[in-house]
Parts: sequence; structure tokens; C-alpha cells
Amino acid sequence: MSAALETQGLGRRYGSQAALQDCTLEIPRGSVTALVGPNGAGKTTLLRLAVGLTRPSAGSVRVLGLDPQADAAEALPRVGFLAQEHPLYAGFTVEEMLRVGRELNPGWDEEAARVRVAGIGLPLRKKVRSLSGGQRAQVALTLALAKRPELLLLDEPVASLDPLARREFMQSVLEAVAERELTVVLSSHILADLERVCDRLVILARGRTQLVGSIEEIVASHRLLTGPRDEAENVSRMHEVVRESHAERQTTLLVRANGHVYDSHWAVHDLDLEEIVLANLGQDAARRREAVLS
Amino acid sequence: MTWLSWRQQRTETLITAGLLALLGVAFIPSGIHMADLFAQQHIGRCVNRQTDACSFIIGNYANSGGFIRSLLTGGWLNLIPGLIGVALAVPLLLDLENGTVRLAWTQSITRRRWIATKGSLAIGTVLAAGAGFSVLFTWYQQPFDRIWGHWDEFGFEGIVPLAYMLFAIGLALGIGVLWRRTAAAMVVAFGAYVAARLFVQNWLRQRLVTPLSATWGPHASGPSISHAWVITEGPSDRAGHLFSDNSNVIQLCARASGTGPKGGRGLDPACMARHGAGFTHLVYQPASRYWEIQSLEFALFGGIALVLLAFATWRLLRAD
Repeated sequence: MSAALETQGLGRRYGSQAALQDCTLEIPRGSVTALVGPNGAGKTTLLRLAVGLTRPSAGSVRVLGLDPQADAAEALPRVGFLAQEHPLYAGFTVEEMLRVGRELNPGWDEEAARVRVAGIGLPLRKKVRSLSGGQRAQVALTLALAKRPELLLLDEPVASLDPLARREFMQSVLEAVAERELTVVLSSHILADLERVCDRLVILARGRTQLVGSIEEIVASHRLLTGPRDEAENVSRMHEVVRESHAERQTTLLVRANGHVYDSHWAVHDLDLEEIVLANLGQDAARRREAVLS
Repeated sequence: MTWLSWRQQRTETLITAGLLALLGVAFIPSGIHMADLFAQQHIGRCVNRQTDACSFIIGNYANSGGFIRSLLTGGWLNLIPGLIGVALAVPLLLDLENGTVRLAWTQSITRRRWIATKGSLAIGTVLAAGAGFSVLFTWYQQPFDRIWGHWDEFGFEGIVPLAYMLFAIGLALGIGVLWRRTAAAMVVAFGAYVAARLFVQNWLRQRLVTPLSATWGPHASGPSISHAWVITEGPSDRAGHLFSDNSNVIQLCARASGTGPKGGRGLDPACMARHGAGFTHLVYQPASRYWEIQSLEFALFGGIALVLLAFATWRLLRAD
């Protein structure tokens, strides 16, 4: 079976600005993937390419084995997308928004939509423009879910929400994943929102992928080593050093370990995901500095 | 998709219908009144009769059109097709500006179908409004057209109003897909509509088909210009070169006749003849060319509208 989302050397330029370049990744079906990176990293561009809103300027993208632009008629019903601003028709009532979903999606699950809306307590007769940000996000999510997609793409879904609405929203996503086979890719520049929910991670920075893999493996492979400065060289021959800092005699290395790290000279610490992500984003910054200097 | 298009266009459609209804309320009673007067006063007998009595009767008749008729002859109602065309572009432009296209384009229907449904509803409404507008004024103008021909309110009659409205919606969409700011695109499109209409009305229309011209001497009578569109008429030499109001001959002969220099009238004929200026030169479009020029102007505005609509479609298909 083809991957839920697969890209090969995918790139997108806007004028001379590369929003995404040489992005190759594969997101297996059934996974919940966090797409993490600072603002402007290319997260939105990647998701828009995946749903066919944008066409690639290089490489290729396939969702569920289909080309999102050329096979739009076939791909669109199977992919749910929630844009960052949660676009909804401001003058429509919630009831009318549900009708939009019904009219535009042959696979629309009216009952599920009604149950969701009632469960959250969304007022059907209220206009979208008078809803709170959290309620709007829920209406948009209802539309994306009730179309019964196999792949759900959420672009910064909670960025504009307050902490309580964030929790509720992520809870809704979790429930949807639990209910049935659903692949989810959700982007955020705040990792804490995603950690609970995701099992895979893609780190994007400056339009490039920095790290792709399952969170478990990523956490397992990253280690913080503290030891003698003069032996740092040896470690970097074995393992990829993501970040290093030196004190007078002691060196601290954050490494992506190649197999087991066991060395009596070095104290080994586990890392949590946030530290790993920050270190990997920092690595990108360090590379850039080198590039400028050289 | 049809329901969504309609729901999004509802307000604009109602505004358009309201505007046309308002015009109907203003012009239908007046039109009935004018048609009745035309029959009662036997105006038909004065058609093509150049007597003083008839001039008086017709002048009197035209005046009884009152304020309503002055709305039409003042030319301000030429703005209405532009307003309607621009207004019906608004639902699509708002979709672009608010980013709700990203909602519509990520449901299960293709962008192509979205454009086709939304576009045909908007254009269908525009054409229906254009037809209503034209029918109303073509009907209202009937008695006046019998007296003077169809040329005076050219832009309100026949098929051209449909093309004007298409042109206006094409402009608004063409500018809007580039700019993505609805209010600004509306203002610029409306300005461009007015400029194009003025240019065509005052300069291009009379040149769409090379006008006929005639020159005749003091004792001959010119061609029949019943119901024709007289573009220029004035004193000229034998070769048909017109004398402008401040030319020496006109100044001289006006002084000789004792009245002011007023385009041909009040000039001393003997004086004019002495200076070789006793001829009349006429440039005109005969009544028989009315539909030819209507068709050409329709094709002009309609053609530009099609190009603009095709451009907007192309941009929308590529937009993200």
C-alpha cells in the first residue's frame, strides 16, 4: 500500500524565495506526524502542496498514491485539510456551514457531524462571525472530519487558540484517530502541543527537512554526553554531533547516536523531545553561520 | 455547489434585483404615460415633418418626460451596468480575500468545477440583469426613438447593455484575482469601466464604421437624415472643409448678419457665398447602421470581457 504522504525532492519557490526545497519524506499510513519548525520553515507550503492548493516547482508529491493536482477529483475526497486561519464563511450559520460540507463532499457523514457539533455544544443558529476562535476551529475540524478523509492535514491548528481551546481541539483530534483508521499530519511551531498526540516527527527549517522519523527512535537515539574535552573528537567520529559546548576542561555534546553509547569517560543523559528539537533547529542555525563565514 | 454559490451571491443578487426594481418603479409609469401622450397628441404625424408646429409639439412632448426622462438623458444611469457588473464579482473576490477559497478548494470538488459553477451563476445573473435593463429602456424609449431614431440613448438599448455588464464583471474579476483586495479592486474596476465607456461613447463609437459624409451647395438639399446620427454638420467650402467658429469667414459673415457667430445660424448667406463658404458639410451614420454598430460595440466590450474572464480563470486555476 502506498504511503499516506510521500515527497521526492519536493520544492516550491515564490519568485526568488524558496519556501520549500529538496524535501524527501514518507509518512506511513496510520501515523500521527508532527511537522515542526519555526515560522517560515515551509510547513504551510508542504501541507498546501499535499492537498493540491499549490503546485510544486520541483520534485513530486503524492498523497495516498495520487498526484494531488492531476488526480484532484480522486484525491480530494480522501484528504481533509484545515488551513491555519480556519477559513469559514463568516456570514453563514453553523447549520449552513454543515450544509456546505454536505453539498461539497459525497462521502459526508451527516450523523457524525451532528453528533460532534452537539457534543461540543456549538450553537447551530449562530453565525460563524460571532463564534469564539475555539468554536470556529471546532466547526472547521468538524467539516474536515465529517468528509471522512483517510489523511487529515492540519496546519497550525491550535496556534490561534487559548490553552483550554487547544486542549479541547487536540482531544478531538485524538478521538478521531482512535475511532478509525486515520493518518494525521499536523504542523506547529510549538512542540508541546503535539508531543502528547504524535508518534512521528518531521523537523523543517528554512525550507529543508532536518529530521524525519518516529518519535520513539528519535528520543532513543539522541543523547547528551558530558566528558573530557580532549576526547570530543573521538565521539564525533562515531556519532553525529548535533550541538556542542565547551567549558575549560569539560565538553558537552548532544549527539545523534550511532548504536549504543557506552564509554566510561563520558556521562550519558537522556533528553526529552523538546531539547532534541531545539538542538536540531540550532544545528541548522549553526550550519548557516558556517556557510556565511566560509 | 449550486447552493453554496447561490448562498454566497444572495446579497448581491438581491441588490441587483432591487436596483432594477427601482428603475422599473421610476420608468414604467412614466413610460406608460409617455406612450399614452404620444397617441393622444398624435405625435406620430410629426415624425419626419420639419414644420415649426411639429417642432413645437415635439419639444413640448419631450419636456413632459420631466425629471424621470432627465435621469436618462443626463447619462448618469450609464453607471448602473458598471455597478451591477462589479457587484456580482464581489462574492468571488471576498472568497479570495478572506482565504475561504482554501476551504472550498479542499472539499471534494475540483477547483475547475468550483470556478465553473460560481462563474456561471455570476455571469448568468449579470446577463439576466443586462437583459432586464435593456428591455426596460428599449421599451421606455420607443416613442422617442420613433421621433429621433435609436441613436440618442444608444447605450441603454439593444444588446450593448449586456456587454457593458459583462465587461464590468470581467474587469472586477481580472483586477481582483491579481490584487485580492475586494474594495480596492471594485473601485479600480469601476473607474476603468467609466473611462472605457466615456472613451467609446465620445470617440470610438462614431469611428467603428466609417461614417458617411455629404457636401451640398446653397440651393441644394442634403441627403435624407431622418433618424440618422449626425456627427458633425456645418458650413464648409465646396470640397467639404468645415469652417470653424473662429475662422475669418465665419467671424466676418456673422458680423455682416448682425448676430453672433453660432455654428451656421445667424450667418449672412450672401457673405458666405461670396467667400466660397456657402456649402454645408455633413458627417453622419444613417439609421440603417444602428444594428451594425450595436453588434460591433457588443463584440468589443463582450470580447474584452471574455479575455478578462479567461485571464481570471487561468489565474484562479494556478492560485494558491
